[in-house]
Amino acid sequence: MVDLKTSSGQTISPYIHSQNSLSRRYGRQTLALIPLFLAACLTGHAEVLRTLLISLVSGVAFDFLSAKIFGKKERLQTGEIVFMASVFSLLLPSRCPSELVVLGMFLAVVGARELFGGTGACPFHPLLLSRVFLQICFPGVMVEPALFAGESSVWTFAALLLSAGIFFDSKQGRWETPLLFMAACFFCEALFGGEATPLMFFSGVLFTAFFLLADPSGMPLTKKGAAFFVLGAALLSSRLDPGGFSIASAGYAVLFMNLLTPWLDAGFKPAPYRAKNLIQATYPYEH
Amino acid sequence: MQIRKPTGVRLERKKEASLLNWNLKRPLPPEKISIPLSLASLPCVRAGDAVQAGQMIAKPEGPKGVSVHAGIAGVVEKTGILENGRNREISAIGIRRQGEPKTVPAPDPRKGWEGIDSEELLKIFRNSGLVMTNPGEEPVHVKIQRHVSARSVIINGCEPEPYLTCEQVLIMSHPVEVLRGAEILRKACGAARIVFAFEDTNLETIELIKSKIYFLKWEQAEVRTVPAIYPQGLESTLLQAWSRGKEDEAVVFPASTAFAAYEAVALQKPFYERVVTVGGECVVEPRSLWLPLGVSFQDAIRACKGVMREPEKVLMGGPMAGAEKKTGESFVTAGTSAILALPKEVVKKGKEEPCIRCGLCVDHCPVSLSPATITLAAEQKEFGIAGAWDAADCIECGNCAYICPSNRPMLELIHLAKGHMRQVAAHG
Ligand code: SF4
Ligand code: SF4
Repeated sequence: MVDLKTSSGQTISPYIHSQNSLSRRYGRQTLALIPLFLAACLTGHAEVLRTLLISLVSGVAFDFLSAKIFGKKERLQTGEIVFMASVFSLLLPSRCPSELVVLGMFLAVVGARELFGGTGACPFHPLLLSRVFLQICFPGVMVEPALFAGESSVWTFAALLLSAGIFFDSKQGRWETPLLFMAACFFCEALFGGEATPLMFFSGVLFTAFFLLADPSGMPLTKKGAAFFVLGAALLSSRLDPGGFSIASAGYAVLFMNLLTPWLDAGFKPAPYRAKNLIQATYPYEH
Repeated sequence: MQIRKPTGVRLERKKEASLLNWNLKRPLPPEKISIPLSLASLPCVRAGDAVQAGQMIAKPEGPKGVSVHAGIAGVVEKTGILENGRNREISAIGIRRQGEPKTVPAPDPRKGWEGIDSEELLKIFRNSGLVMTNPGEEPVHVKIQRHVSARSVIINGCEPEPYLTCEQVLIMSHPVEVLRGAEILRKACGAARIVFAFEDTNLETIELIKSKIYFLKWEQAEVRTVPAIYPQGLESTLLQAWSRGKEDEAVVFPASTAFAAYEAVALQKPFYERVVTVGGECVVEPRSLWLPLGVSFQDAIRACKGVMREPEKVLMGGPMAGAEKKTGESFVTAGTSAILALPKEVVKKGKEEPCIRCGLCVDHCPVSLSPATITLAAEQKEFGIAGAWDAADCIECGNCAYICPSNRPMLELIHLAKGHMRQVAAHG
């Protein structure tokens, strides 16, 4: 770790910080999911609460264990695990066996995240990586989550809209990313057509745009890179599923685009502004 | 004409407290001052000599040298060593006040100053101890000589950092003097135009300067604005926004430097005092006031009735790009725009977390870098990668560290990378 002090023992600027923090970010994102859980209960999918409980407990346990094994600190304080568990429970089929939920959380927390070096270091979306793995291994069980599949109702869609609104209002991410993804998905749907009902399509797209692409790890750092990423993800999702869109196809699409991220980062490297004597001209306090 | 969309962060401005005490006062001279000397000045007084306020105490050394003047009347106590604004030890001249405090000497207007030519102006600047009133503290005549081809002089009235009001208060109190100083600098540079730069929220100042330009019938001057987001309004960002990539064609001076140039040329007053904002939540009566160069931070804070409670940090300059100081051992220099006493609640920093690649730092970097990539590389000691991602172009504005939700030590890592790159450049 670097020395945070100057040679004279004083810390260096800036001395003020924004209100941004990981706990705030994950807290607000988790809060935005509450309408979805309420809608699930109201529309007869209360099992999702059972899945949520299992993924929460197993997630916390794996986080604690991996922290002990890898000598890191647990992520409970930042709320990352709670957010991961909440999103994961919505990604799974409503009657998903408990063992699969636990296995999925193990893959996401330990397999995808910790083995790659911890939060932010995994080049793939940890939850989607885990879901795709389960889907390959247990194709019969890992069907589309009920909320975004055939049983998708107007209430679910309304709750999704509310969740997206709360998410949007919390300003915890680039607003362009979900909007561009949705626009691209609608464009592809209009262009290629699909068998999915409008409700299924809209629900899946909204959830992916706001809650799956909300995890920036594995995405390009620049706005242009991220835009290319979501355009690619939208196109692939629509082509990989005959219905036009599904959570499964979105999973494959995002993981594929994750693979391209290093190239997108390099390709969209910002061109720095160079001025002669810039450093001298600005703030030459030497620390 | 802007060539790049200005980027930055909108900070809480916190300027109201020091603007409440609007009139610019000059507190009684302190008991003692310690005036730092640069290598470009040679002391011309000895311990025990009596000096007057404004008297030369060090002569310019070499063509880049600049004179130094006493900020108070008193006796030269010692020429010693002190820590300067950049945490380096440098030599200094101490002056202890003797007898009752005297008021500053009356100005001695120079006849025919408007007709003085460029060469003569540079000599006056050099012998008046005129240096830039920004942290660079470059002698004004040297800066002008570096910009011989400048076609525009930009007079910077922007203060993008929170708390800082010294430029604004000075301009509002002495608008005509600032304008005349700007004209003097324009003539000294041989430039064609003067551009006054203000933040777009600073409406009163903009109106005031516009009206003065109108009544002076100056066709060579104009007022332009930048958005009130940090770091827009710093010298580098003004050049970035307005020079169309030809930085040599514009030269930027703080408005307070223009005022000091006016005093040096028109009133024959050497540069030995400046307006400083003494502020922060801990100060009893935050305000901008005249302080002689060399006054200790402790005396400066005392002139504003002291502190209400012990500050967590005392800063020289703003909270985004300033430097932490010790009150008793730090002294006002030409580049000290502010002394801030900040409480724990303001300067507290959250726990450091890993980078989540949110991209916020990239979106808010004013020079379009990828701070996340640079710092992640520096953390892994991959300084080659940090260099390839243009770490050297960082202007150290602090935006990335301010905005990062993971509270990563961005500037520390960037310094580390830059330091390593400098070493490699020096030793191959
Ligand atoms: S703002 Fe912080 S967390 Fe976000 S990408 Fe930059 S360094 Fe990483
Ligand atoms: S990388 Fe440098 S220039 Fe860019 S935001 Fe960070 S400190 Fe400012």
